[in-house]
Amino acid sequence: MFYLSRIEHTLRVPPDILRLPLAEAIKVELEKLFLDKVVSNLGLCISVYDIRSIEGGFIFPSEGAATYTVVFTVIMFRPFVGEIIGAKLKESDANGLRLSLGFFDDIYVPVNLLPQPSRPEPDPRKRGRVTWIWDYNGEDFIIDWQDEIRFQVRSVNYPPVPIEQLNESKPFAPMVITGSLDFDGSGPISWWTDAEQVE
Amino acid sequence: MKILEANAGPLTNFEVIKFLKSRGASKDPSRVLADVSPSEYKVYDYLVETAACNQSQENINEFLEKSKKYDLAKAELLNIINIRPSTPVELYSMIEQCDDRLGDTVEELVEVVVEVLPSPPTETANEEGTSEANQETVTKENIEEQKIDEGDEKMAK
Repeated sequence: MFYLSRIEHTLRVPPDILRLPLAEAIKVELEKLFLDKVVSNLGLCISVYDIRSIEGGFIFPSEGAATYTVVFTVIMFRPFVGEIIGAKLKESDANGLRLSLGFFDDIYVPVNLLPQPSRPEPDPRKRGRVTWIWDYNGEDFIIDWQDEIRFQVRSVNYPPVPIEQLNESKPFAPMVITGSLDFDGSGPISWWTDAEQVE
Repeated sequence: MKILEANAGPLTNFEVIKFLKSRGASKDPSRVLADVSPSEYKVYDYLVETAACNQSQENINEFLEKSKKYDLAKAELLNIINIRPSTPVELYSMIEQCDDRLGDTVEELVEVVVEVLPSPPTETANEEGTSEANQETVTKENIEEQKIDEGDEKMAK
């Protein structure tokens, strides 16, 4: 789920934070630049792990700040295909489920990857929302908000930044995980603890 | 920006939570004073709800040692440590071609997992009462966990 990645970056350190020791000042700048951001094909940056080397400190003509080249390590959130992750339900509509990890919300489970056969039932309280129910040998299992939901990562995509965005489209997500719930052991964890008891 | 090494090594959930704790992340209200950004706290808040919250380096080393004979891939071990499957059905999905490779030893491996890796606090108190079915499944194991939890709380006080 988490990886270390080594990155080299040339950055401008504004003079007002140079009152800090250099390594700390650079860390502040790096956190500003990278934290909670998605780097394409690398994942979501969680934390600056360490700084390996600092070079430079050159002040370019007509610029009031020093420029450093820094090699550093960051903790990246990048699930691998096939990984099992526990998440919470965020949205449930006719297109499938949207799951959330708290720090990452763009996990989608399309209808064809839900447990088969599943059927939607409209949510009486919210318009446009549905509750998905897995019909297992005539028994109903409901996917609801209470439990942690285990899903398997099917793919991780980094869609290109759109040049023009339509008004009604959903906000752009730089990293999208497609998950599946169509295997034994997936879905809300209570499904399976109960199953064990029956056996 | 230049990516020198995209994968300089995977981390388990435990290692990430340990790193955040070392920076001062915690559950108590003084957390606002720590040098931890809001986005890092979101990660921390997710991880304290997972099995990683009370694992230790010794647990994980012991588990790696004991699971050597099953010949699992690194990614599979990582997944098992992060999720801590306590039933065979949970484990099946984490291991490729589980039936062929492990056969009857699945149960054995589950026992190793349950024995070596500490169990997470039982679905925490906030989920209490949400599901009757959950409450019925309170086994001996869960009761033990609750005792441990209480012990921890006392320690904290």
